[in-house]
Amino acid sequence: MSTRRRIRLRLALRNLRRHKRRSVLSGSAMVLAMALLVFSRTIAEGGHEDWIDAGVRMGGGHVSVEAPEYRTRRTLEHRLSPEARAAVQDALTSPDVALRLVASAPRLTVQGLASSSAAALPVAIVGVDPEAEPAFSALSDKLEDGRWLEPDDRLSAYVGTRLARRLKLKEGSRFVLTAQDAAGEISGQMVRVAGTFRSGLPEVDEGFVQIPLETAQEWLGTPGAVTSEALLLRNSRDVGPVRRELRSALSGWSDEATVLGWREAMPELDAAVRMDDWADYIFHLVLFVIAATAIVNTILMSVMYRTREFGVLRALGLERGEVGRVVFIEGMVLTALSGLVGMALGAAVVWGFFRNGLDFSAMWDMEMEAAGIVIDPVIVPRFHWNQIFQSLFFILAIGSLSSIYPAWRATRIDVAEAMKFEE
Amino acid sequence: MSDERRANGNGQHSAAVRTRDLWKVFEHDGIRVEAVRDVTMTIEPGEFVVLAGPSGSGKTTLLNVIGGLTRPSDGCVWIDGIDITGLSERELARLRLERLGFVFQAYNLLPVLTALENAEFTLLLRDVPPDERRRKVEKLFEQIGMAGLEDRRPGKLSGGQQQRVAVARAVVGEPALVLADEPTANLDTATSSALIDLMAELNRDLGTTFVFATHDTRLMDRARRVVRLVDGAIVDDDRRD
Repeated sequence: MSTRRRIRLRLALRNLRRHKRRSVLSGSAMVLAMALLVFSRTIAEGGHEDWIDAGVRMGGGHVSVEAPEYRTRRTLEHRLSPEARAAVQDALTSPDVALRLVASAPRLTVQGLASSSAAALPVAIVGVDPEAEPAFSALSDKLEDGRWLEPDDRLSAYVGTRLARRLKLKEGSRFVLTAQDAAGEISGQMVRVAGTFRSGLPEVDEGFVQIPLETAQEWLGTPGAVTSEALLLRNSRDVGPVRRELRSALSGWSDEATVLGWREAMPELDAAVRMDDWADYIFHLVLFVIAATAIVNTILMSVMYRTREFGVLRALGLERGEVGRVVFIEGMVLTALSGLVGMALGAAVVWGFFRNGLDFSAMWDMEMEAAGIVIDPVIVPRFHWNQIFQSLFFILAIGSLSSIYPAWRATRIDVAEAMKFEE
Repeated sequence: MSDERRANGNGQHSAAVRTRDLWKVFEHDGIRVEAVRDVTMTIEPGEFVVLAGPSGSGKTTLLNVIGGLTRPSDGCVWIDGIDITGLSERELARLRLERLGFVFQAYNLLPVLTALENAEFTLLLRDVPPDERRRKVEKLFEQIGMAGLEDRRPGKLSGGQQQRVAVARAVVGEPALVLADEPTANLDTATSSALIDLMAELNRDLGTTFVFATHDTRLMDRARRVVRLVDGAIVDDDRRD
């Protein structure tokens, strides 16, 4: 470091120490802002991850592999052939994917009708693998009555409680599922209620039936085929790399298979998460303004108070820009130190008091639903390395933005006039 | 500093300060104040000069213009042969650092630095090696009776001690010229006399040129030249050699 740089740094640091109380008071605004930022980011990260996790478990997974037009047409014409499925299974063994993959679930989904002697209602009929599905879907945990599907089940069905009530079904009751098969014919399949579930979402509890995958394939004339391979990953941040890897691995199957991330597959959830993100950004902006105002105020006061001192520095041979840099360094050091203390404080509070989750159940007496997903009232804060970079960026932005103006003011001081200034 | 700037109006190179037809005019709310009027003067190296005159006579303004702290409205100033009127801000800063020393009425030491750090400040800026820096400052502190007080901050020094440190800061870099604005105004009689003795001694021993703006008759009595200003213009130039 050059001598002049050392002098500027020494002057800046000593000036901060000279007015300890003022520095500590304005630094405390930054400490508080950073602590709140860390707290809100970890809660938001945890909340979003829980939300996405619940959403993808109910839906098509973090990543879904399906026929290109299945998402818009929703017909069996657009399905993954047994050969395409084999290619998908092969792609899943790639180290970049396998490392991030928690579970995969093949599904054959059609829109149809569920009929009993009491009523007939439109439903989504999903053929699932009774062995693979529990590791993936949350529905098997939402059992109300009876049992979940078993591997050797043939004609069993797992239905929502509201559907069971409207069709007047109970465990062991028979009812008929009707849908258009692969040949385009309307085809019926008699099934028996193995169990009922309650997800908390009316549209799911009334419009969703799960049956064994093999039963569905046989009934609908699509042996070995599925409409989607749903993939559950460690967390939503794994979507990008997995999607890239699968797209590359399945490039030879682009006519038959496409790879979708949850944001593409579940646009409502994506929009809800983005809206929540924006609410966070507004909160962060408020924190930013509070912290920046405190820092600007302190540094600007210090510049006004030290007008004569800056005049002396100029008279002694410091250039305009150098005087400005002294002030800028003061602002940056004050912001950086208090920001880092705030980060540590925020992390300590989150770890010390909320590492097992922040329970909002007292505030929500009913089940909280957003974007078609039931939200767990206990939010477990999550830490991600990205938050460190965000926080450091926040510190850097506040430090530089709130120091620029006072530094500029310091460079504008007229040396001769400054000598008349009374401290 | 470029060579073409190192020549005064008469092609002479020896003067510590030379001014020609110097004017400084301030305008506030349409009111024109001629603080310095048509000042032409030469101060030779090693002189001990007082600019005297009543308040508002333009002493401080003339000192500021000579020191490059404010720009003249018209005319020229040469310091050590360099025409400073056309220098950029950066060149002026460099000139102040390398060729000028300042002593102010209110001492103006940097409060966050110790006495020693204040005194060596210009040497630090000039990148003088630490050993040489310390040697020069310690020798000077012995000379001005500040030995043992090197580590004190300005707030822990008396007014007289602070002004001694300010004088040390002004002369330590062996500038061509020291400009002192009312250096004794805030000091009691005994301290003032001691400070004047000190500056006269430094002038004699180091050959440093001193230019004072002052009302202090004791300082005027010690000066070898007194330039009297009235309403910004020189009315008398009394050489006592």
